[in-house]
Formats: sequence, structure tokens, C-alpha cells
Amino acid sequence: MIKTTHGALSAMLLLGSTALAPIAANAQDREVNVLLFSMPSTRGLAALADDFEAETGITANIDVVGQDVFESRITLSFTGGARDIDVVHTPVIQVQRWVEAGWLEPVTDTVEGLEDKDDILSGPLEAYQVNGDYYGLPFFAETGLMAYRKDLLDAAGVEAPETWDEMLEVAKAVDSDETAAIAMRVAPGQGFNMFVFPMLMRAYGGKFFADYPDDMTPALDSPENLEALNTYITLMNDYGPQGIGNFNFPEVVAALQNGQAAMTVDGTSIVSQAVDPAASQFADEFVLALPPGGPAGRSPAIAVHGLGIPAGSENAETAAEFIKWATSTETLTKLAINEAFPDFTRASVAENAEVQAKYAEVQEDFLDLRIEALNLAIGHYRPLIPTWPEIGAAIGENVNAAVNGQMSPEEALEAAQEEMEIILSY
Amino acid sequence: MPATRASAAMDRTYRRMLVPASLAVGIFAITPLLGMLALSFTDFHLVRGWSGEIGIQNFVRLFEDRRFISSIYIMMALSVFGVLAQVVLGTAIAVGLDKIVGRWRFARGIFVVPFAVPHVAVALIWLSLFTPTLSPINAFFAVFGIEVPALLTTQTGAITAIVIADTWATYPFVMLIVLAALQGISPDLDEAAALDGATRVKAFFRITLPLLYPTLLMVALFRFIETLKHFPLIFVMTSGGPGRATQATNYYAYVQTFQNSNVAYGASIAVFLFLFAAAISFYIAKANARLSDA
Repeated sequence: MIKTTHGALSAMLLLGSTALAPIAANAQDREVNVLLFSMPSTRGLAALADDFEAETGITANIDVVGQDVFESRITLSFTGGARDIDVVHTPVIQVQRWVEAGWLEPVTDTVEGLEDKDDILSGPLEAYQVNGDYYGLPFFAETGLMAYRKDLLDAAGVEAPETWDEMLEVAKAVDSDETAAIAMRVAPGQGFNMFVFPMLMRAYGGKFFADYPDDMTPALDSPENLEALNTYITLMNDYGPQGIGNFNFPEVVAALQNGQAAMTVDGTSIVSQAVDPAASQFADEFVLALPPGGPAGRSPAIAVHGLGIPAGSENAETAAEFIKWATSTETLTKLAINEAFPDFTRASVAENAEVQAKYAEVQEDFLDLRIEALNLAIGHYRPLIPTWPEIGAAIGENVNAAVNGQMSPEEALEAAQEEMEIILSY
Repeated sequence: MPATRASAAMDRTYRRMLVPASLAVGIFAITPLLGMLALSFTDFHLVRGWSGEIGIQNFVRLFEDRRFISSIYIMMALSVFGVLAQVVLGTAIAVGLDKIVGRWRFARGIFVVPFAVPHVAVALIWLSLFTPTLSPINAFFAVFGIEVPALLTTQTGAITAIVIADTWATYPFVMLIVLAALQGISPDLDEAAALDGATRVKAFFRITLPLLYPTLLMVALFRFIETLKHFPLIFVMTSGGPGRATQATNYYAYVQTFQNSNVAYGASIAVFLFLFAAAISFYIAKANARLSDA
């Protein structure tokens, strides 16, 4: 009796599995595993997963995780060759490192095959080119802008600063006990203070390297960089809110929204929170403008994020489908409308009437300003080299130490220069 | 002799009962530890891979690395001050709660609450309390025209801030264990002391505290080893700053491994940390044995 049940059971199982097998295989072909880290546009993208399935019949399993979790997960997945990710969030700042480690599959054919390739903003796209191959398609390009309280500047009788030298004057005039003149990120990190500080460096003519990319001799201890660092230190310590030495972007945003700071220079996703009426008490007073420049012109920050395919992906074709969909005009337009930030990477999105109306309501020339800043931004704002994450961290820590008075600006640049040389000598 | 045979059989049973636990420890604790040890003798780099070289170069480098040496001082400051604060505060509250009986016993529950808060949340709470523009503390004192200094922008301040946050989150652990120990001390001792004319303070310091010594030592050891592993508080509250002023050894191992991709060097720092913690545990366990014998 027991035996027969057993036999019947295994027969059923066998039947079941053979009947199910083709479906399972088929389903596997039509699935794509996407790993993204959390930002407004990636959360927005995940919310559109059903649209992708409706259009292509492919199920997108989109996993949006915190940035720190993301780092450890891809590290494990890539070094272990797990092949559990088909599409990976690929920040430009990591591309060189990942390509050197052999973690990314080129997507050159997909990029070249696009009918509307010219519609993609060329700076962000070219940043994905390494040794003649493309390793990703951009979906997000954030640039640097300035936000200032027009009411407070008017009251002090000053105009918005065009250069960092003027910023020192304006800050002096505007600073009061209730409202600090300026708040910027100072917390150490290649994506924290080293996202904003190069805007000062480059405006004064400072550089990371003697002549990137031809002469890669570290050039941090230059008089131009020292001038930039001194300006940054004065602005933060004399005209910044109390405790600025540890401020990261959430503290900067809070200070702007609560009326504790009159100006900031930061990425679009940060400055647009100052003008967001839902969150900012002074949304009507804040005006957006290009970041200040200097003797060497203006150099707005730039941060580009895109999608790439991990090396050895077994679903490279469906992955490419997903990337094409996610970076298409249609999807980017939806994101620009659904999410709070205008960081899209296709020119045609700005032609959409609904997108135009949305951002014109915030500020008439918001979208134009953004395009202007993007055009001014240089692709290697932060050097595009495999060792940048390490170098950026080392410089950021020394710059932060200088702002907090733990070492002199000269010592900080010297130490950063020395550490940069050591890192590059490996 | 049947008795011996019986006890030999018992022995075998006991040994067999140890198998699952040994397997679990072997697979999930010893193996990764050995893996880390092996890694620390290579030059494995996350991006560049392994050149095939094996040697003690990582350990030599440790003692020439100024950042590593200073990370040990930072770690010791965080651990020593943190453990002191937690033990004193936890014991004080436990002694107070021990005498509270009847319907106010629920107070114990309230004091345990911080222990249940995840460390990242603790860090976020204290980060906002120590950020002058966000902090209600600063806002309160500003009413009286007093400016509370920004703790997180100096080394002493940032270390103090992390110790405060850590103490807030973990004193309940000390409190619970000391409370349990206090309940094991017979009230007769206190009564006898009172009859002999000792004040309550005197009775506490002369009778209760000496009886608590082994417990305090154990709880301090547990806390000390835990504080060597400081990470979320540093990561969220200071990112290791100002400058590098709060990069404790464990955080520095993370920086080397994940930020700088020097996995092998990071592993050698971790090996050092492990040996350090093991040595302290061993020393204190011996001291404890001596105390218990006495």
C-alpha cells in the first residue's frame, strides 16, 4: 500500500515537473533582475515596472536597496561571479574601476543600435565610454546649481554672486544671527564634500592632475587649490551655520528649508528641495541660479548615473531590452513628471509640454538653467579613473580636517597630495 | 566494572551531543575566521586580484601605518570611556530599580526601551540632537542666549558624542544583568548591616558592591568587546570625521576593504582586532576566576 502511494506520488511529481518544465524555462527567458540603489529616480523607475512588462512581456524584478547595501551586494555578486544580477545601477564614478576589474559587459551594440542616440545628452553618454566601448546608458544627470534667498539678499542690498570672490562679499553682507549666509556639505567623502568642493577648485583654476588625462601627476598642492580651500573654509566657518563642519546633504537641506541658511551650492536634487513648496518654508523666496565661477570660469558639479550589464550575464538580451526601455524618452518623461527632480538625460524630455509646465511653475528658467549648467560641466569634474573612490576619500578627509581646524589648509593639501601619490604608485 | 562502563557510555553520549554544536561553530565561525587569516597573508585586491604572493607584508605594514596606530587610540578612547559610562549608569539605575517594588515595577520596562532601538536609528537620533541647526537642545538654550557648542566638529567632541549615543543605547544591557545579580543578594545582609548601625550608603559600598564585582567585571568585558566593533554610530554620525578623528580600528578596516579595495590589508586589520579582543577576554576571564576563588 505504502509502496503504491509512493509510486503514484513520484509519477505525479514526474508528470508535474515535465508539464511545468517548458513554462519555467520560458518564464526564465522573459525575466530580468535589476539591482538599483535608492534615489528618487530609481524608486520612480521601480514603480514603472508594470509598464515595462505590459510593453515587452518581460517581468522586471527590480530591487532598490540603500547605497551601502548596494555596494556590498554588488561586490559579493561580482567577485563571486554569482550572475544573479542582469542590470546593475552604474554610477559614472565607478565605471572605470568596474571595467578595470572586468565586472561589466560592453553595451556598445545596444548604444550604436539606438535610432535616437543623438537625443541622449552627449556629456553623460560619453562618460560611459572606456577604451572605445560603452559600458552603460545614462538615466540621470545631476548638475550643480546655486539657490539663494532673494528676500535676504535684497534686504542686505546685494546681488546674487557671480564668482566665489563675490560670494565672500555677499555672505558677509547677508550673514545674521538668525540666518547663516551659506550652508554646503562638509562631511568627508568622495560623494559628500568632494561633490561640491571641486566647484571652487576648478573656478579658481585648481586641478587634481597636472594635465588630465595626458599628464597624471597629482597637482593638488597648487596656489589655486589653496585659494579655493581658503575660500571654502572662510565661507563655512565664518558664514555657515553652527556645526557646519559635520554637515552632509540632509543637514544642508534642513537648514535651507527651516530658514537657517540663505544660500547653498549643490546638486539639482538638493537645491530643488529648497524650492519645493511641499517641504520648504521659504520655497517662494529661494531663487535658483548657476553656481559661482572664478578666474577659470564656472564648473558646475556633475553626477551621472546609468544602467549597465554585469559581465557574464546570462540574460544579456533581456537586460539590454530593459536598459533601452528605462532610458527611453517615454520612460524618462514619466519620471520627470512623477518625481521631484529634473535630472533626465534626453534633450527631447524637455520638449514635453507637461514637463515644461511642471518645472516652469517652480521657476521660469529652471530647465534652461539646468541645461546651461550641464553644458558648462566637464565630464571629468571628478577624475574618471579606477582609483578615484580611494583618492576622493583621502582628499575629502583632509579637506574636512582643514575646515574643522585640525590642520592648516597648506598641510591638508600637502597631505592629500602625498596620499594621492601613494595611491597612484600601487 | 559496570559503573565505569556506564560512565563511559554517558561520556560517549555527551560527546555525540556536542557534534551539532561543534559542526555549527566549525562551519559558521572557525572556517570564515581561517579564511580571513589566509586572506591576510595574501595581497588580494578587489579590483586587481591576487598576484600569487604570500607573506607577512600586511602585518609589517600595520605597524608603519600611522592611520592604523591612531585608529587604535581612537578605538581605546571610545571603548574605555564608553564602558565606564555604561557600567556606572547601568549599575546606578539597577540599584535604584531594585528597591522599587509593587505597581511601579513597570518602570523597569521603560528603562529597557533604548536597548530595542537599532543602532542606525540610535545614530540618526543623536546625529540630529548633536547638529546645532536641528537640535532641540540648542534651541532650548538659545532662548536664554546660551550657545551650545557643536560637538561633532572637534575630535574630543565627536568621541564624546559617540560615547553618549552608545551609552544611551546599551546601558540597559548592564542594568538588566546587574539587576538580576542584585536579586540574588540576600536582603538579610542589608538588614544585618543596618542592625550593626551601617548607613545605606556604607552598606552599598561595603557589602553590595563587592558582591557585584564578578558580575560587573563580566558585563564590562562583554561591553568592551562590543565597543571594539563600533561601526554604525561612526558611519552615520561622523563618517569617520572630523577629518579622520573618529576612524576607529574597525571602521578603518572597512575603509581599507571596501573604500580602498585592499581586501587583504583589511583582513589583516580584522585579524589584529580579533587577537586583541581574544587576549582581553582571556585576561579578564583569568582575573574573574581569581576573584571568584577569593
